[in-house]
Amino acid sequence: MLGFLSARQAGLEDPLYLRRAESTRRVLGLELNKDRDVERIHGSGVNTLDIEPVEGRYMLSGGSDGVIVLYDLENSSRQPYYTCKALCSIGRDHPDVHKYSVETVQWYPHDTGMFTSSSFDKTLKVWDTNTLQTADIYNFEETIYSHHMSPIATKHSLVAVGTRGPKVQLCDLKSGACSHILQGHRQEILAVSWSPRYDYILATASADSRVKLWDVRRASGCLITLDQHNGKKSQAAESANTAHNGKVNGLCFTSDGLHLLTVGTDNRMRLWNSSNGENTLVNYGKVYNDSRKGLKFTVSCGCSSEFVFIPYGSTIAVYTVYSGEQITMLKGHYKSVDCCVFQSNFQELYSGGRDCNILAWVPSLCEPVPDDDETTTKSHLNPAFEDAWSSSDEEG
Amino acid sequence: TIRHFPAPEGPIFTFSSLPYPFRGTIKSRGMSRKRRRLVPETFGLKRQREQGLVESDPLRSESVSVRAAVSELVQLFPRSLFEDALPPIVLRSQVYSLVPDRTVADRQLKELQEQGEIRIIQLGFDLDAHGIIFTEDYRTRVCVLKACDGRPYAGAVQKFLALVLPACGDLSFQEDQMTQTFGFRDPEITHLVNAGVFNVRDAGSWWLAVPGAGRFIKYFVKGRQTVLGMVRKAKYRELLLSELLGRRTPATVRLGLTYHVHDLIGAQLVDCISTTSGTLLRLPET
Repeated sequence: MLGFLSARQAGLEDPLYLRRAESTRRVLGLELNKDRDVERIHGSGVNTLDIEPVEGRYMLSGGSDGVIVLYDLENSSRQPYYTCKALCSIGRDHPDVHKYSVETVQWYPHDTGMFTSSSFDKTLKVWDTNTLQTADIYNFEETIYSHHMSPIATKHSLVAVGTRGPKVQLCDLKSGACSHILQGHRQEILAVSWSPRYDYILATASADSRVKLWDVRRASGCLITLDQHNGKKSQAAESANTAHNGKVNGLCFTSDGLHLLTVGTDNRMRLWNSSNGENTLVNYGKVYNDSRKGLKFTVSCGCSSEFVFIPYGSTIAVYTVYSGEQITMLKGHYKSVDCCVFQSNFQELYSGGRDCNILAWVPSLCEPVPDDDETTTKSHLNPAFEDAWSSSDEEG
Repeated sequence: TIRHFPAPEGPIFTFSSLPYPFRGTIKSRGMSRKRRRLVPETFGLKRQREQGLVESDPLRSESVSVRAAVSELVQLFPRSLFEDALPPIVLRSQVYSLVPDRTVADRQLKELQEQGEIRIIQLGFDLDAHGIIFTEDYRTRVCVLKACDGRPYAGAVQKFLALVLPACGDLSFQEDQMTQTFGFRDPEITHLVNAGVFNVRDAGSWWLAVPGAGRFIKYFVKGRQTVLGMVRKAKYRELLLSELLGRRTPATVRLGLTYHVHDLIGAQLVDCISTTSGTLLRLPET
């Protein structure tokens, strides 16, 4: 550690090197901390979490009862013990609350004035954060499994929506209507994700075992369908041109957008090169997955080797992305974990599950090492047990 | 330069009934502090007061090669059970139990396959279960059994062994590949299927197969279920490895308990946890 600091000071190493090393060290030390808590508001399972990308301070959560809660993650009290307070919530008594379970919430990528939420009640609602009113509602014919808005796009404000039908719909926030439809999948779309690198590249995952990469400006079909065997028909049984041997549940781009991670109900996670759709064949082992809807997992950002945090039953499994090694399993939830998000400024992980809890995983700080040498001869007695008549050095 | 993490080091449990160290053991994957031993000291958190250091083992200085792992596992295969009619078959999941870094294992297996040293066979019962056989063993067995008979398929099998086997290292073969590149005619391909060298996959494509492997697959599937059942019926659904291997081999387990234990660990059908009393096999909760 001191070596990093002095190297940075002398200009021998890039300043970013120290930052990445320290971020990685902190991520490796993630654990539950008794000093950090998230206020418990939800009465039923937490389906989705999202931290706003601007400051990393506010977090939204969506629950199975349609309730959406907004939390402030910043610890402005001087105490180590801190509960992340819920600032406001859209509860069951709100006139515009979702009727059924909220599946995805997402902050507007450019500021915190707005957020979007989609739900099993076939609506996508756009909310104004300050007044907590719906600014717009999009209705669909089928239940919505997932939606996503591009985190970097400035030329368009399209929201990609994956529903139970096989068509991916793109809604334009500026005009208030669905702008176009991407056809190509054959069953329900379980996850959609925009690329964090290119404005117009979208990845969609479907229950028909296929993952497709689209350029939304192109009218004719998808760019690439990901193939787990990389085109070698010799290995494919009936699984030609599929990304997984089961439904594909979750999608996550790495933070630089060069790779894409997918998980499927065949208990596998695969890493793909997002520019040519090649399966990098990194083997993570068995990544247990029996979720019938989308699985929301996340990738760390800013570490020297990135980590993926994926809900694994009632724990969260942490793997290194590029080498497939399993680092640890974070145990703490009582029931299955549904979603997790990573706060990259402080290297904290927040996860929500079916036990209605949101847990905060915080890098554990170094405890002071108890001194072994005999400098402290004074025994630490509880004052109740100290006898008043023992002679000590202080008393004259 | 950015440092990469080495493959996870696990303590080696040299086992009296196992002739080689059991590398597949991982540390307890719970929320233990010991996971910090997995990372190099650059990122090491300062926990000097931790007890239970990693046992340094001279054999485990770097990751073991896949070829050595396959050779070790080949010793476990019971040749006498099949009266030497089958070449020794090793499973991919068994290789994973000896080489903990799966990506590296996959890569090395692919290299060995491309060099022509091993053949990978699709065993029918699971999409992921691949059998690994040394090419030499495969060639000698098939030669002895099928190519030296006076049977009608002998000629086709010999032609196959001479032409196709060295040239194409894949798991399966397509019709146009066989007819055009290698010059096989339809009756010859039918002979190959009759000989057991080919298994039909769908119209116009065939899996490479081991003749007579049906018995092996039957014993394997039954044995796997039995050993898994032994762990399942134990109290708390967990069993010490020493206790499992010390039990009397049930009649349905014909291939040997160690053979199946390697497969179960590598296929992640049981969790392998290191404890102070030895390696513990526990059924995963999920």
